Amino acid sequence: MWNELLYAFEAVATLPNFLAMFAGIWAGVIIGAIPGMTGTMAVTLALPFTFYLSPVTSILLLVALYKGSTYGGSISAILIKTPGTASAACTVLDGYPLARAGKGGKALNMALISSCIGDFISNISLFFLAIPLATFALRVGPPEFFMLMAFSLTIVASISGRSLVLGIISACLGLLLATVGEDIYGSYRFALSEDMKSGLGMVPVLIGLFALPELIKMVVFRPEDNADAMKLGDNRLTLSEFRGSIKSIFRGSLIGVILGAIPGIGPSTAAFFSYSEARRTSKNGDKFGEGEIEGIAASESANNGACGATMIPLLALGVPGDVITGVMLGAFMIHGLTPGPLLFQNNLGDVYALFIGILFSSVFLFVAGKATAGAFTKISRIPQTLLLPCILILCVYGIYSIGASPFDVTVLLVMGVVGFVMMLLNIPAAPFLIAFILGPMFEDNMRRSLAISRGDLGVFFQSWISWGFFALTILFVTLTIRREWNKWRSNRNADTASAS
Amino acid sequence: MNQNRDFYAGLVATVFFAVILFVLIPIYVKVPSFIPGFAPPPDMWPRVVAIVGLVMGVLALVLSYPKMREASRNQVEGLGNRILGNKTHLMRFGAVLILFAAFVYGMPLIGFVPATVLLLGVLFIMTGNFERKFWMIGLSIIFPVLLYLLFTKVTHTPFPEGKLLSFSLSDLVTL
Repeated sequence: MWNELLYAFEAVATLPNFLAMFAGIWAGVIIGAIPGMTGTMAVTLALPFTFYLSPVTSILLLVALYKGSTYGGSISAILIKTPGTASAACTVLDGYPLARAGKGGKALNMALISSCIGDFISNISLFFLAIPLATFALRVGPPEFFMLMAFSLTIVASISGRSLVLGIISACLGLLLATVGEDIYGSYRFALSEDMKSGLGMVPVLIGLFALPELIKMVVFRPEDNADAMKLGDNRLTLSEFRGSIKSIFRGSLIGVILGAIPGIGPSTAAFFSYSEARRTSKNGDKFGEGEIEGIAASESANNGACGATMIPLLALGVPGDVITGVMLGAFMIHGLTPGPLLFQNNLGDVYALFIGILFSSVFLFVAGKATAGAFTKISRIPQTLLLPCILILCVYGIYSIGASPFDVTVLLVMGVVGFVMMLLNIPAAPFLIAFILGPMFEDNMRRSLAISRGDLGVFFQSWISWGFFALTILFVTLTIRREWNKWRSNRNADTASAS
Repeated sequence: MNQNRDFYAGLVATVFFAVILFVLIPIYVKVPSFIPGFAPPPDMWPRVVAIVGLVMGVLALVLSYPKMREASRNQVEGLGNRILGNKTHLMRFGAVLILFAAFVYGMPLIGFVPATVLLLGVLFIMTGNFERKFWMIGLSIIFPVLLYLLFTKVTHTPFPEGKLLSFSLSDLVTL
């Protein structure tokens, strides 16, 4: 193995490979930071260029774009409350409050470091865990998937803020909007117009819900401090802050690796799962959602941790886990390589070269992130009265470019108004977001499982994986009910005491 | 009794989910006559979600009652009165809705770039801060044009030219 690794190292350490990775990471970071432009778009746009490159250089370019865009999504999420990619949606929750408090640079640094660590751990796992993880991933069928999604949805309880009831209302709204369009059996639901038959796009909904309410709030209420730029305060990440988040970074990276290896889950779910776990276990759990740096560490380590891991089912089994790895599968085949078990037998040198190249890309990600963070932080200096309207226009162009659809722009604007009304009524937006992303996976896998089992509910309890997630779900629901009960009792006691 | 935010959130949620459950699902979620295997029908999940949402809406209404009673005792002004009392805010919100609707319906007519230029210009005016007039005028023209160039060159997105503009251009070509 070591001889092959040495040969692979020699094959990778060439100028074209380094240039491809460098260009890919930079382009990815910039594309990811633009709202509406996604990693999928970046990888698809780069595909024609790979015709002229060697197989390893091509794949390295595409992987670099994927990683760069995943990190880039966090930049706009932190600085302008606009998740550039769906996987960065969780980063908004703590990143933007930090930026508002003049700590945008600190938040970006934490996002970068945790992304790089998550990415590195994910890359290492490619070497040692590709085969076992791929075998595990094969055991995750619709019932296990359903239980995993049910467990992930329990995060709603921990991010509902002051009222669990309003959090559940928000989640129900997200679950309901996720049902718009065609279902898995071809039935149309809530297709009020022809455009709605294809459902509501994830990116317009997320960006509308998070980015636009700030603008509408500014136009309606005109707070006096909007003419000022955001404060630029302490931007250095201290060692104690890093130490305080290290557990969440490693946990998030592992969650990213495991969930990323399961086809169909992707970085968004991994980020939410990791965020939820960090909030449950952190001593600063109560501060999550208000500008807690550990929250950024948890979500960013997980979404970048999932990036490398999505290559595991692709390389080991030939199964693309998401659209991006689907495009990469195409790139492999264009160059005469067929991912799957035979790839490890017939083209082991190429596989190792790819692994080593991907390891290098973590370093490039750090360099590109560090170099761009300073420039992006300057966005904070633009007064809100100039910045927020420009963000809307940027979002309008970005959203339109996804599918050349005016309907997507309408969805963006309508969701902005919905988000503003939710803000007025104190209904938290975060549970909506999670429910909207996880809802379709939850429902599809439930219906698939019941179809397979011919309506027998026992299908959900046939494997130890399902049982494990079921037990965790019950445990967290019980703990949440107990916590709410205690809160209600203490409030009642306080009211009684003040009345007497 | 003085209504608070929880009351209005509960009221909005109750009405919204009731409309979904009793009006929209029966009309807009078609259940096919044949469903393969034993798969649950397509209306099952939306119904479950709408019922949970409706129950939570009612619960929010019920839970807001003690707080409202206390606020009423302390003579705190209700949220509804505060919002309706400030008509300027309502008018500005109405103006935002009109602006967004005008953009959506006007964009196919006048074209994407002119529509975004107008949208940005009007939004700058609506912020009510005119300290940086030159920046506002410059940005409202240059920024949309730069984005148009970026997206047409990089992603080759075909932005709508607008029926009015294409009509006049085709006229010129014909002449």
